[in-house]
Amino acid sequence: MDLEIWVENFIVIAMFFYVAAFLLYTVRIVRGPTVPDMVLAIDALSYDLAAFLVVLSVLFRSPIMIPSALVLVLWAYALDIYVAKYLESKELGE
Amino acid sequence: MASVVEWALVIVGQVLVAIGVFCDIVAAILMIRFPNFYVRLHALTIGSVGGAFIPMIGVAFIAAGSPFLGPYRWFMVGAAIVVAIIEFILAGAGTHAIARATHRSRAVEVYPKVVDHLEEDKLREGSE
Repeated sequence: MDLEIWVENFIVIAMFFYVAAFLLYTVRIVRGPTVPDMVLAIDALSYDLAAFLVVLSVLFRSPIMIPSALVLVLWAYALDIYVAKYLESKELGE
Repeated sequence: MASVVEWALVIVGQVLVAIGVFCDIVAAILMIRFPNFYVRLHALTIGSVGGAFIPMIGVAFIAAGSPFLGPYRWFMVGAAIVVAIIEFILAGAGTHAIARATHRSRAVEVYPKVVDHLEEDKLREGSE
């Protein structure tokens, strides 16, 4: 079997599982009873979207998709820190 | 025709990506099923380490063994490893920050609980 077709078929199959996981995370974001629950689900969704972008870069043969995953991870971390600061001191700083 | 080394790299990478997909589905189901915030932290750990760190390392292996990706595939290997390590550090740090802030601000009630040493320490500090 050809290596290229083998890799492409594998990633196309993995895509369906990733999309199913994203839908389940979205259910928790919408239903989350408190703000920390929603932030937790958004974190998990962002990290898995970053991994999904890295996996898709092989399928689309575009190396430029990987640094965008890095930006997404940094934004998820910024959201964590801002929400944590807001919960503790009820202000966002200067 | 691809060589044996390339096939071996691709198979190792695909095993890692398959582990990542499995952890991802498990974390998503547990995020729905777990009862409260402090238990859902465990689901986030599965999703951020097993579901994001491991498949990124797997993509580095796949890219190293795929000549059809062209001359930029070594850039993909390096970038995937860098993103994986940064994600591994930031996920733990961010989760710790939000768990600590939630406990200190009492945004979520700790229930059911057996023992809560952090709360006992805070009460003791307040009484002295």
